[in-house]
Amino acid sequence: MDSSSSEGDKRPQQSLPEIGISQILGLVELLLGKGGREDIYKLAGELSMELGETLTVIRAAEMLGLVHTPGGDVVVEDFGVKVIDATIAERKDLIREKLEQLPVFKSVRDFLKREEDAEVTREEVLEKLAELLPNEDAETSFSTVVSWGRYAELFGYNDDSQTFYLDV
Amino acid sequence: MTTENAIIEMRNVTKRFLLPQGEVTVLEDISFTANEGEFITLVGPSGAGKSTLLRLMSGLMQPSAGEIYYQGKSQVGMNPECAMVFQNFGLLPWLTVAQNVELGLEPRQKDPLKRREVVNRYISKVGLEGYEEAYPRELSGGMKQRVGLARALAVEPSLLLMDEPFSSLDVLTSINLRNELLDIWSDRDNVVNTMIMVTHNIEEAIELSDRIIVLSNRPGRIVGDIKIDLPRPRRKRDKGFIEYVDRVFSLLA
Repeated sequence: MDSSSSEGDKRPQQSLPEIGISQILGLVELLLGKGGREDIYKLAGELSMELGETLTVIRAAEMLGLVHTPGGDVVVEDFGVKVIDATIAERKDLIREKLEQLPVFKSVRDFLKREEDAEVTREEVLEKLAELLPNEDAETSFSTVVSWGRYAELFGYNDDSQTFYLDV
Repeated sequence: MTTENAIIEMRNVTKRFLLPQGEVTVLEDISFTANEGEFITLVGPSGAGKSTLLRLMSGLMQPSAGEIYYQGKSQVGMNPECAMVFQNFGLLPWLTVAQNVELGLEPRQKDPLKRREVVNRYISKVGLEGYEEAYPRELSGGMKQRVGLARALAVEPSLLLMDEPFSSLDVLTSINLRNELLDIWSDRDNVVNTMIMVTHNIEEAIELSDRIIVLSNRPGRIVGDIKIDLPRPRRKRDKGFIEYVDRVFSLLA
């Protein structure tokens, strides 16, 4: 598992897989249909997905606390059951709480809070991401930060002005 | 048979197209009734005229013979009570999510403030809050199809027609969207509850629908109208699921 640490932060920063929220929720729903647990290798075969791709989705679900991966299996966490049982609107709140704990999202949000009056540009966030995740492609991390952040309504991003803002 | 809660009724509907090689019959003698609250899927080989059938129901096309009744009245021209969801989402790339959802509402609701209110209601219904000002290019397939769905729901139709809405999505995304669609379908909070969907995926049809209408190859004729009597949520390994798969396959073979 690739992870990298940035100076001054004790916790290793996890790279952000380029995976959409719908895919992650779909994975948890699929697993719940199988009683909540499946062998990862078997799952990849069944989904006719590359093993690497399957692992990327699993890793994304794991970052959000929806599943864990003991041995070669993927197992749905209680939190995963809670998210799937929730309504479409409640899911956002649950995911938001998790994202707020992830170092990358926390840093980006803190950055936005600090710059409250100023506009935070795409460039600034890209620089921030390059600093936080030096071994990752910043553009890839950027698109995941924007898409997960929007889903959880953690912040807004306007691609016309290329600026970020905090939702009120 | 006309029942009290019939939404749409096809009576001996035939559709022919004039092609350079001559006249082709795409659908022949199609008769069925969709009742309020039903989730119906249309399955059949490609060329069975499934998409044509949806377009006839929406009034985008007129039958060559036979009649269509909508809520008991003969249907002529476009049906404003229908909304359609497309396989490739049908989004305008230069409009934001909110603007795409608003598109179908403009002729119906002249007051821009009220229109915004409706847009926001359906954006939230499909889980798109936070994406209002995103452009389609910034969205995953799953989010794009949520926009397509929100736009269709926003006109508050009494019948929702869907043309292979999940077939251009990856496996996991389509699992998620199918579940959310069922949530919306069973939500009695003023959302459309009669749905007709075209699919080529038999398992998807069994998972979702109350009834599967099976069409034969060109010309498309109804070769089966199967009631799916299984509790939801339905999983492939449930007892009875595979029997339905076999039944549908045997009609298609």
